[in-house]
Amino acid sequence: MSLLSVQELQTHFIYRDIDYQFREAKALNKVTLSLNAGEVLGIVGETGAGKSLTAQSICGLLRPPAQIVGGSVMFDGKELLSLSEDEINAIRGADIAMVVQNPRSSLDPLTQIGKQLVRVHQTHSGGTILESRQKALDMMRAVGIPDPLGRFNAWPHELSGGMAQRVLIAMALMNEPKLLIADEPTTGLDVTVQAQILDLLEDLVNQFDMACMIITHDLGIVAHYCDQVAVMFAGEIVEQGPTKRVFQTPAHPYTQQLLAATPERLQMGIRSQLGGQPPDLFNLPTGCLSQDRCPKSTKKCETPPPMIDVSSGHLARCHFAESDNKAGSKGGD
Amino acid sequence: MNNPSSNRWTLARVHNRARGLARLSPTATAGVIIILFFGILALFSNLFMPHDPVASYTDRILQPPSADHWFGTDGNGMDVFSRVIYGAKFGFGIAIPAVLISLVIGVPVGLIAGYRGGILDEVLMRIFDGLRVFPSIILALAVVAATGQSLLNVVLVLGFLDSPVFARLVRSEVLSLRSSIFVESAIAAGNPTWRILFLHLLPNSIEGAMAQTAVRAAWAVRISATLAFLGVGIQAPTPEWGAMIRQGTEFMITGQWWVAIFPGVALIFLVFGLNLFGDGLQDILDPRRRTSK
Amino acid sequence: MVTDVVLSATNLTKRFPTGRSGNFVNAVNGVDLCIRRGEVLGMVGESGSGKSTIGRTILRLTDPSEGQITFDGRDITNLPAKTIRPLRKDMQMVFQDPWSALNPRMKIGDLIAEPLRIHFNMSRSECADRTEILAKRVSLSIDFLNRTPSALSGGQLQRVCIARAIATNPKLIVLDEPTSSLDLSVRAGILELLQELRVETEAGFLFISHDLGTIKLISDRIAVLYLGRIVEEVPKSKLFSDPSHPYTQSLLSAHLPSDPNEKIERLPLEGEIPSPINLPTGCSFHTRCPLAINECKSKPPSPEQISAGHMASCLRIRDGKNIISREIK
Repeated sequence: MSLLSVQELQTHFIYRDIDYQFREAKALNKVTLSLNAGEVLGIVGETGAGKSLTAQSICGLLRPPAQIVGGSVMFDGKELLSLSEDEINAIRGADIAMVVQNPRSSLDPLTQIGKQLVRVHQTHSGGTILESRQKALDMMRAVGIPDPLGRFNAWPHELSGGMAQRVLIAMALMNEPKLLIADEPTTGLDVTVQAQILDLLEDLVNQFDMACMIITHDLGIVAHYCDQVAVMFAGEIVEQGPTKRVFQTPAHPYTQQLLAATPERLQMGIRSQLGGQPPDLFNLPTGCLSQDRCPKSTKKCETPPPMIDVSSGHLARCHFAESDNKAGSKGGD
Repeated sequence: MNNPSSNRWTLARVHNRARGLARLSPTATAGVIIILFFGILALFSNLFMPHDPVASYTDRILQPPSADHWFGTDGNGMDVFSRVIYGAKFGFGIAIPAVLISLVIGVPVGLIAGYRGGILDEVLMRIFDGLRVFPSIILALAVVAATGQSLLNVVLVLGFLDSPVFARLVRSEVLSLRSSIFVESAIAAGNPTWRILFLHLLPNSIEGAMAQTAVRAAWAVRISATLAFLGVGIQAPTPEWGAMIRQGTEFMITGQWWVAIFPGVALIFLVFGLNLFGDGLQDILDPRRRTSK
Repeated sequence: MVTDVVLSATNLTKRFPTGRSGNFVNAVNGVDLCIRRGEVLGMVGESGSGKSTIGRTILRLTDPSEGQITFDGRDITNLPAKTIRPLRKDMQMVFQDPWSALNPRMKIGDLIAEPLRIHFNMSRSECADRTEILAKRVSLSIDFLNRTPSALSGGQLQRVCIARAIATNPKLIVLDEPTSSLDLSVRAGILELLQELRVETEAGFLFISHDLGTIKLISDRIAVLYLGRIVEEVPKSKLFSDPSHPYTQSLLSAHLPSDPNEKIERLPLEGEIPSPINLPTGCSFHTRCPLAINECKSKPPSPEQISAGHMASCLRIRDGKNIISREIK
């Protein structure tokens, strides 16, 4: 059984706008994914695809007007969506930990970093302060912060971006979580620092046998650090599977477009059919959500496309997925 | 959502927008209702006044409220009700021009001081600080005493005295905006300073000042009434609330409360309504501005 | 051939006071560069490299602390703002964040036409035609001309910025990370547009970015910056195949290609970029360079010619020991 199993998750934004009209944005549309211990899943997509929203929905971090209107999130045998606020608080920070971008704005500016680490540990794991302090020092060492003892009393504003991100990761790991969600963990950091942080995450996943979800818009990160990938568009997963396979033989037109748009593959001088309007979450079409911008769309796309099994573990939500992928397709409908 | 065709304001849309705004800020809605109430009284006072506000009924001096005179009559036998309604004209007639004058003086000063900085900024701000610190009543009294008793003088003085508020508001916005990217982009495009000030900075820094106009209008109403109460600017038998209260205080002791109380209540309500609206305006302007990308 | 250098800068230096007395942020430290008509010079570097500051300084949006800037044959280093202003019709900039680069209260049409009104004194109606032409050129629907920036997406806004920048047919266009804030699929469209424009306008382009992939795609020549100095200048074809400076090599190794089959060769680079307030002595890179020797601490290296159009500033080039050995990941 998977550690994390998200089934048909639907999150909508429902509110009255300034013109007193009811507005409903369907931000997540039946998202389904699963994750096992020791696996790294990359969730990739453009702005508005719903990547961060998925993580927030899983962790119970949604604020009005966002609300979950359907689906289930099974974590470690428990249904997270039916837990009370207190119960999910107990899980968040302990069994599920999150690391976000802009590390410096996620740290409490008025508390020294050592104290923050201790605080996180005390909240969930208890024990004596001395034990927490020792754990904090161990974690700081594990994430590669030089001179942990000396840095224990540092203030967040004294840290560089890379250091702050390491502190955030240390904080996430204090309670030895089973699942680590990293939402754009290296956006905004220098490329050389990014490499260090990602290598660190990889080591820690192996060391602690955690499940890890990396949310990013950078295909390079997914290509080299994620075993599995899920491509999101307009709040649904359009393609997922082992990274190598999906990147080598993408079955969904959107994934193909995305890969074609990377600088390595762009050929200057050729006008590509890329991009288009971002999807209007208030007015999603019936049927395939990409039909308005897909070069392959036909009348058939007005019916919702099924998730097609392109090969073992590689799925794509497109009517034409099977016929495109000649190698290793298993048929089925 | 990304529809390029322009917006059209149908009646239905106006209605819905009003409902939406009302929901967003009940405070502002309440304020608007009160202001509109007095505004209509001021504009169409002829329709509402049963009597001529300066008609003196010498046989009906200091009569308590009755069917004929809802708010009673004052020491000159004039109908208090009609005078209260007519007095609304003065509320708006003083507050609106005064606030406009404050804006016309304060906004450009704030723009220039904020953008240029340096000595100019220091000098202007110190002058304006001085103005603010000075008790306005005393200053107004002095100016009107020197220049003569007239409504125009009152308006000018109030407008001038209140301009530092707007200057400060605009200046602080400009201070943060002047290093923003769109200003840099405007400079990079080759904009001369006057265009930067009036086409780029002004529209983006005026919002805070706009939100304050209602509150400052409330201040203008109050101060002008106070000045009239002190006998400055407006003379009896002009039906202005402050002057009416002045006359009415004499009679409070002898039990004829209606002469002072009714204009007093009207004054309180108008000021209250303006303040409510000003407060509520913050609700409407601020969160709506926070658009997420 | 008549020299077609649009912009040249020598010993460009910029220091910002930090507020703490005596301390300066040494953003740009002695940079020489030149940009020719019709060519794209790419500038790549991480934080603290000074690339954005260079862009702003050559346009005189900030004043240089030292050095000389020559634009179209004219020394503009010390010209007062009044004199520079009319020159701005020939030098324009496209900023990184299109949402903040446009006056939120101005209409799109007015924003695009603004340079025309300022420099050519055209009236509203005269501008209208040219604005439409510009909008069409950047593939922007003319229905948007009456809207304000909040109604457009990032990609569309950046097209507005580009239209604004080319309105007066400038000779030099500086683009500061023009695609970094945009989504991947939108980026491609903008880059294609820029490529077309560069062929059409024959202007000189300075393209600043931190992304090696994008830089390689669009540039003819690439300058690699570290802590305010150009450490390597290389033609596009040689960037990935023949990086000479150790920093360039580590930058390349940290770059993650989107092909999972491409092996990453991770170069051992420790630590973080030093603060520009306290520049390391000698070669700024010596604190992190795996090939540093004693001499690197004291002697700042001067540029060494490696081949035509390819130069790097590293002391170890002379003894051929400037290539870091790689560990395969």
